[in-house]
Parts: sequence; structure tokens; C-alpha cells
Amino acid sequence: MGQLNLNKVQKFYGTYEVLKSIDLEVRNGEFVVFVGPSGCGKSTLLRMIAGLDETTAGDIVIDGKRVNDLPPVKRGIAMVFQSYALYPHMTVYENIAFPLRVEKMPEEKLKVRVEHAARILHLDQRLQQKPGMLSGGQRQRVAIGRAIVREPKIFLFDEPLSNLDAALRADMRIELAKLHRQLKATMIYVTHDQVEAMTMADRIVVLNAGEIAQTGAPLELYHKPANTFVAGFIGNPKMNFLPVNCKGVSEAGVEVEYKGQTAIIPVEPRSGMAGASLTLGVRPEHIQIGSGDLTLAVTPSVIERLGAHTVAYASLGGEGENYCAMLPGTAAIRADEEVRTGIRAADCHLFDENGIAFERRVEMTDIDMSLLDPAAA
Amino acid sequence: MSQPALINRYRWYELVGIYAGIFVFLSFILAPFVEGFLVSLKPLSLLFSSPYRFWPENGSFAAYKTMWVSVPGFARYIFNSFFISVIVTAVVLALVVPAAYAFARFRFRGSGALLAAFLAVNMFSGAVLLIPLFRLMRSFGVLNTYFAMIVPGVAFLIPSAIWLLRTYMMRIPRELDEAAFVDGASHFYTLRRVILPIAMPGITVVAITTFIGSYAQQFIFALTFNSKTEYMPLPVGLFAYFGRQEVVWNELMAASFVGIAPAVIVIFFLQRYLVSGLTAGAVKQ
Repeated sequence: MGQLNLNKVQKFYGTYEVLKSIDLEVRNGEFVVFVGPSGCGKSTLLRMIAGLDETTAGDIVIDGKRVNDLPPVKRGIAMVFQSYALYPHMTVYENIAFPLRVEKMPEEKLKVRVEHAARILHLDQRLQQKPGMLSGGQRQRVAIGRAIVREPKIFLFDEPLSNLDAALRADMRIELAKLHRQLKATMIYVTHDQVEAMTMADRIVVLNAGEIAQTGAPLELYHKPANTFVAGFIGNPKMNFLPVNCKGVSEAGVEVEYKGQTAIIPVEPRSGMAGASLTLGVRPEHIQIGSGDLTLAVTPSVIERLGAHTVAYASLGGEGENYCAMLPGTAAIRADEEVRTGIRAADCHLFDENGIAFERRVEMTDIDMSLLDPAAA
Repeated sequence: MSQPALINRYRWYELVGIYAGIFVFLSFILAPFVEGFLVSLKPLSLLFSSPYRFWPENGSFAAYKTMWVSVPGFARYIFNSFFISVIVTAVVLALVVPAAYAFARFRFRGSGALLAAFLAVNMFSGAVLLIPLFRLMRSFGVLNTYFAMIVPGVAFLIPSAIWLLRTYMMRIPRELDEAAFVDGASHFYTLRRVILPIAMPGITVVAITTFIGSYAQQFIFALTFNSKTEYMPLPVGLFAYFGRQEVVWNELMAASFVGIAPAVIVIFFLQRYLVSGLTAGAVKQ
């Protein structure tokens, strides 16, 4: 079992509040990713769960037992560090065996466990080598091996892939996802890379400035971000935000006005919104050439041709905020030449003055609902 | 021939300058040794003959034999020096390794002040504290023992050893301690199985400097706290060649070279552990 509950967990460094009352439930076998910009407290939260950092207030509960005052090994967790933290003077075998040596496991049993872990991680041929002779990916696998021999209830990963190059990272991502399926263990994974979060997570916890900005399945965060922070953080390139005025509210949605054009955005309406200034969000990949419910004529200053896509960057008048569109790879556009871009109202996100989203009426027929709910899978 | 990297390429006059500089400094360092060695080869009667001859006329290794005869206890002095230095080094290492680990890793109240205090103590030379130390030794009744030469030696060598080793241990990534802690290892287990092997080059440096330091400082402690001939270390023992009438220079020089030989051998073997790059592969750098 590997059920984790965080109840009003807080962390202060002196008087500085790093984490503000975090409540979270991680179910047994779930792959949860903590994601957020640097300094948001995600690594601190992981280290608190691990027992490396003190918890100022609140309870950390693993399988119904409060573990705040227990050392890491008694919590049933294992941790993989960003920097691998391998013991350079020991062979791969001894590195993996280290936790078992600490618990004084008999040699024969230990050998079986280490070799089993090495097989899972394709390290069988490397057992007698020292970490210095291994590549980055192999070193990280040794670090993972050291975590899995103990057969912990919960695995904690602290940005394990951020030291690897892009190609290796993609491979390791797939291997980690496989490993999760194979071990069926609870995994908590910290990263600042939203691609890792989107691809591996059953559930993503987006942290911002010490608070949970939103928790949800990857596609839920993408389609229904709860606020401007999550909307801007998930998705690459970043979502465009346009300042709009609310003209009125009806059953069909909220009518907004942007530079003389109006459109009805199909979101759950709230009363008393007329006249308020709102923020319209639209993802670059939802912008097309031509006209839409809102049509913007822009002059791209930079165009990036990625083959599959063309990314155009333009400035929208005085705001200084970049307007970014992700167009088909063969889009007939050129830098410094005006182009008309259209936005469909159904693709838009709408946020109030506080950055809180109006709930979208996403046409969920487009989305496999089981993908949104890991419990249903 | 392979070309050296651009940064290591020099013009001919730069090379001449570099080697000339090396030659000047090396001669300052090595000339006394050469001169001492040559003196040890000369017969005593020819030492002060004029004109002075640098190269010994009918030189021989005779002094290396007669030195054992004219000062019969000399082997004992070499042993004493060696013995005192080995014990001092062992005690210093046993005390300094855990202390340096604690200073490098734990945050505790007064650690900064303690470190500063150690540095301050180091600024007093042993000579300043000789009289208080003498009184202390006398009241403990340990004058004229090995103990009297070992304990002050240890005390004066600990501060610099702590500073040296602490700096080295601070360079060992903290994640290694954390990883071991997560895996259930105690602090002592981590120190023994993880930190000690990685810190070996640093510990070797400390061992060498302590050993040499102990050799160097014996003279003053032995002279003050010990009057028994059989406990005399080498530097004091060399005085035996200063006779009433004359100084037996050639034997004195020969004895000096023989006397430092064990220390040189020890250091030669220790430096094999001075391998760098021991932390390669521990963490991404």
C-alpha cells in the first residue's frame, strides 16, 4: 500500500512561508507529478514527504499513520535525487545494494534483489563498473535501482531527468512510465518540465508560490485550467491573454468585447459580470489563419519554422504582451507582413479580474473521458 | 609530435624565462641539501681547508658508518621521532575526522565560533605557551615521558587539520549524505561507508601535513618537557654530535639524512592515496 495524505501541511523558513497549507491525497499506485516554476516549493514539499526537511505544521500521513517525526526509512519511501547521488567509490552492484546492506540483509537474499532490480533497469552488464564509467542515463538508472531494491511503498523523484540531454530524457520518460506500470507503486515526481508532467502523470499538482494552483489529470489541466497561472503554465508555447470587456451574460455564455469585436464565449455564466474587465485566453495552437469569431490582424515579427508547425510571434499594440500563434508547418506567412488570424469562441478560456476561470463548456465528445479520470482507467 | 593546446604554447623566450625561474628557485631549495650531502662525504679535516672546495677530495661514506659509533643512541632517536610522529598523526586523525565531518555537515550553535577559536589557537606558536604547558605537565607529573611530547603535539596540530579536512569534506556533495539517510544509514554508517572512502585524498593530505608538522615541532617540546636521553627525538638527538671541542659536521650531516629517511619513506607511501577524481560520477557536475 502507498496511500499518502497531506493535511494542511505548512513550511516556514524563519518567518518566510514557503508552503501555505497544502491539502492533497495521493492514492495507492498513482503517479502524481508536482510541477511549477522554480521556487514554488515543489522540491521542498517532496523533501518534507521524504523526511529530509522538517514540517512546520500539518500532518503527513502514509497509509493512515502520521509520519511527521519518523526518519525516511521508517516512512517506507525511497527517493531518487536530481544529481543521482551515487557513491563514487562503490560498484553499481554495491550502490544498488547499499540500502539492503544498511538493513543487514543476508548475502544470498540481497544478491537476488539486486540482480532483479538490475534486470528491470537493464544494468545487468554494468554491475561491476563504477558510476564514473557510466553515462548520465545509466547513472540515473542506478539511482533508480537503489530506490527499487528496498521495495518502498512510495517512490519520490526529485527532477530525476533534468540533468540528461533531450533525447535521453525522452527515453527515460518512457522507461519510467513502464516502470510505474510494472511496479504498480505510488510515485511522486517533481519537475519543472511540463512535458514530463503531461506525459507521465495520472494526476498533476500545479504549485505556485507555495500553494496548489490546481490538481487534475493532464488533459483536464489543459482544457479546463482553473486560473490564469495554470493556463499560462500548461501548454507550450504559452497561452495568449487578451484584455476584454464583459458586455453581458446569457444562457449561451459570456459576451465579451475586444477592440470593437464581440463574441460569445461558451462558459458557465456568472451574474453581475456586465462591464467587468476580463481576460480572454487562447492557446497558440487554436489560432488559425483567416477569420473566426474574433479576427485579429497582426504583423508577426519573428517566425519559427519547426517543420510540423510554424510559430509566429507578433506584438498586439501597446500591451507589450506577445501574441503567439502556432500554425501549420506550411502556413503562407512572412515576417513583417500583416496576416489575419481567427479565433473560435469555443476554443477560448475566460478569466475574471482575479484570474479565476469561468468553467468552460468543453465539447467533451472530443476527449476520451477515461483519460481525464485515472480512476476510471 | 603532438602540438600542445593553444593555451599551453609558449614562445622560445618565454620557455627560457620559465626554466630560468624554476632553476633559481630550485637551487635555493635544493642547494642546502646538496651542500649538506657533500659535507657528509668529506673527511672532517678537509671541511674547513682553504681554498674551499665544493667537490669533496677523497670523499667517502665513512661518516655514515662512524656516526653510529660516536653517538650510540642514534637509532633510538630516530625511532623516538618516528614513534612520536606516528602516534601524533594517528591520534590527530582519529579526533579530526569526526570533528571535520561534524563541522562540514551539521549546523549547531557555536560551530562558527569554535572554528574561529581553533584558528586563533593556531596563531599562538607553541613557544609562547611553553611555560604554562611546562607547569601543567609538571603538576600532572608527566614530564620526561613520551606523553609530554605527544599531547602538546596533538593539540597544536588539530586546528589546522580540522580546517583542512572540513574544507575537503564540504566539497563532497551533500546529496550523498541525504541519499544514505533516506536509505536508513546512521550518521556513523554514512561517515564510515560513504564519506571516509571519498575523503581519503583529503585525509591523506592531513596525515602528511600532520606527520611533517609533528616532526618539525618535536624539537621545542622535547627540549622543554623531556630530559631523559632515551626519549629524545631526532632533532634533539642531533645535538649529540656537537662535541665539547668541535662539531662533527660530516657525521651530523650524515645523521640528518639518515634521520629523515623514515619520514620520507612514509610520505612516499602515503602520497599514493592522493588520487584525484575520486568523486567522479557521484553527482552531475
